[in-house]
Amino acid sequence: MPQTAADPTGEVTRFVLTEFLPDVAADRLDPDEDLVASGVIDSLGLLKLIAWLADRFAVPVDEVDLDPDAFRSVAAIAAFVTATAGRG
Amino acid sequence: MPTHADPPPAHRGPSPTALRILARARSRPDATALVWRGTGISYRELGDRASRAAGRLAEPPGYGPVAVVAEKSPDTIALLLALLAAGRPFLLPSPTLAEPVLRRLTDAAGCVATLSTVEYAGPAAAPATGPPQDGVTFMLTTSGSTGVPKVVPLRGSAVDRFTTWAAARFEIGPRTTVLSYAPLEFDLSLLDVWATLVAGGTVVLVERERATAAGYLADLLRHVDVVQAVPMLYHLLAEHGGIADLPARHVIATGDTLPDRTLAALPELFPRARLYNLYGCTETNDSFLHELDPRARPVPLGTPVDGVRSVLVDADGGLVTGPGVGELLVHTPFQTDGYLDPELTAAKFTELGDGSRYFRSGDLVRRHPGGALTLEGRTDFQVKVRGVRVNAQAVERALLEHDDVTEAVVLAVPHPVAGNTLHAVVRAHGVDSLTLRRHCAARLALAAVPSAFTFADEPLPRTGTGKPDRGRIARDHVNAVVK
Repeated sequence: MPQTAADPTGEVTRFVLTEFLPDVAADRLDPDEDLVASGVIDSLGLLKLIAWLADRFAVPVDEVDLDPDAFRSVAAIAAFVTATAGRG
Repeated sequence: MPTHADPPPAHRGPSPTALRILARARSRPDATALVWRGTGISYRELGDRASRAAGRLAEPPGYGPVAVVAEKSPDTIALLLALLAAGRPFLLPSPTLAEPVLRRLTDAAGCVATLSTVEYAGPAAAPATGPPQDGVTFMLTTSGSTGVPKVVPLRGSAVDRFTTWAAARFEIGPRTTVLSYAPLEFDLSLLDVWATLVAGGTVVLVERERATAAGYLADLLRHVDVVQAVPMLYHLLAEHGGIADLPARHVIATGDTLPDRTLAALPELFPRARLYNLYGCTETNDSFLHELDPRARPVPLGTPVDGVRSVLVDADGGLVTGPGVGELLVHTPFQTDGYLDPELTAAKFTELGDGSRYFRSGDLVRRHPGGALTLEGRTDFQVKVRGVRVNAQAVERALLEHDDVTEAVVLAVPHPVAGNTLHAVVRAHGVDSLTLRRHCAARLALAAVPSAFTFADEPLPRTGTGKPDRGRIARDHVNAVVK
C-alpha cells in the first residue's frame, strides 16, 4: 500500500535535498522556502518531482490539477500529497 | 626550401619603438631599463645585448617573420628589441603551448624560423599563408580560451601610438618603475614593457614560475610606481593577508572581471594609487578606461580612450542607440589591420558609415539609461536554457557579487530537453547552493540560475593569461557532479 497517513514532509524534504540540493544541510531547508522563486526547481525539476510523487505516493497525476503553486515549497508539496495521494 | 636570395623589402626599417628605446640607451645609458631577479640591467647593457642578438638574426634565411618563444627574460626582450630595430616581424608564441599548436601558429604566421634566446631552432615548414603586411612588428596571438589562437599582426606605427598614449596617461617617464606581471606574449606587455622602455622607465620583470607567490610579488611591488595586471594578482595579494600600503601611484586591473572582494581590498593594498579598470582586446588594444570607485557596482567599461570610437549592435545587426544590450564594435588608433587569414578578418572586422574599420569584440555590452556601459558577457557564452537566452558569464558575475564567493565559473552543459543546463563551479566560504541560488534568482532570469553547483576547495585552474581554464574546470569538476 502506498503511504498516505503519515506526514510526508520529512520524505519530501529528503527528496528535494538529494535531488536538487545535495550540498545543503537538512536543517537549512525551510519547509516554506520558495523553491521556484529561488531557482531550485525549474520546469525539468518539476517533471522529475511529479514523476516521483506519482511513483512514491500514487498521486494520480493524470487526473489532478497540477497547479505549479502546489509545488512551490516542501510544505506545499506535502500538503498536495496529503490531499491527493491514493485518491484514484 | 626557403630562398636565401630575397632582397630586403624596401619598407623594412627600424620601428619607432626600437628607435625611441635605442635613443634612451644613448641619452641615459646608465639608467636602469630592466630589473630581473634582483639585478638591474641598464639601457646601455640592453642595447648591447640587442646588438649581439642582431648578429644572430642573419642566420634565419630570407627576410620573413620569425617566431620567438616568449620566455620572460632580459635576453628575450633584447632579442625582440633587435627584431624591432631590424624591422623584422615576429610572432610571440607562449612557452606553454603544446608543440602541434605552436607548429600551426608558426605556419599560419609564415615564420621562416623559430628563435629562442638559447638556440637557433632551424627553419620551420614552408609558410601556409602569405607574409604579414608591410610595417608589421609584433604578431601577438589571441588568448585562445575559446578556440585555436589567432595571429594578430600589429604595425609598428600602431604600437608607437599605443606606447605614446599609455606612457602619457599613466605618467610613465624616466625613473618610473613599472611591474611586468603579464607574460611577454600577452598584449598587456605593450604597456608594461614597451611603453615603459620607450619612456625611459624601469621594467620590473616577474618570473613566470613565481607569478602566484604573493610574498614575492609584494616584495617587488614595494618598488613599483605603476602596475597593470589581471584581477588574479590583486586577488593573490588581498588573500595573502598582511600586505598593505604598497607605494604604486597607478593601479590598473584588466583582462577579466574584478570580483567585489578584490575591488574592496585595493584601497588598503594601494592607498596612494589611482585605481583603474582598463578594457581592450588583443586586436584593438586598450579601448575604454574607467577610474574605479571601490564602492560602485557594477564596474562600468568607462570612457573611450583618445581616438577610440564604438557602437553597440544588436542580434539583428541594428545599431543600439539608446539603452539596451548589443555586441560592442570598436575602432582604435592602436588596432591591427586584420588577421593573416582574410576570411577571419572579414568575419571580425567591418567598415561602418564613418569609413572606419570596426572590430567585432564578441563582448555583449549594456548601455544604461545614463549612458554608462557595462559588460554582460561574451557572445560566445550566449546559450539557450529552456528556450531563454542566457549568458554564462553574466551568471558568473552575479555569483562573484556574493561576498563569500571568491571564484565562480559557469559552464553550459548540453541537455537533451533543456538545450543547455548551467553548472556552476564555485570557490566560496560557508555558503551552500540554496543561498547562492537565492542570490542568483534575485538578480537574474530564473533560467540563468544554475541547475547544479560544485564547490571547489582549491583555486580554480587558470590559463597562462590568468583567465579560468574552462576546459580543465569542466573535466575536473563538472564530471564529478552527480545528479
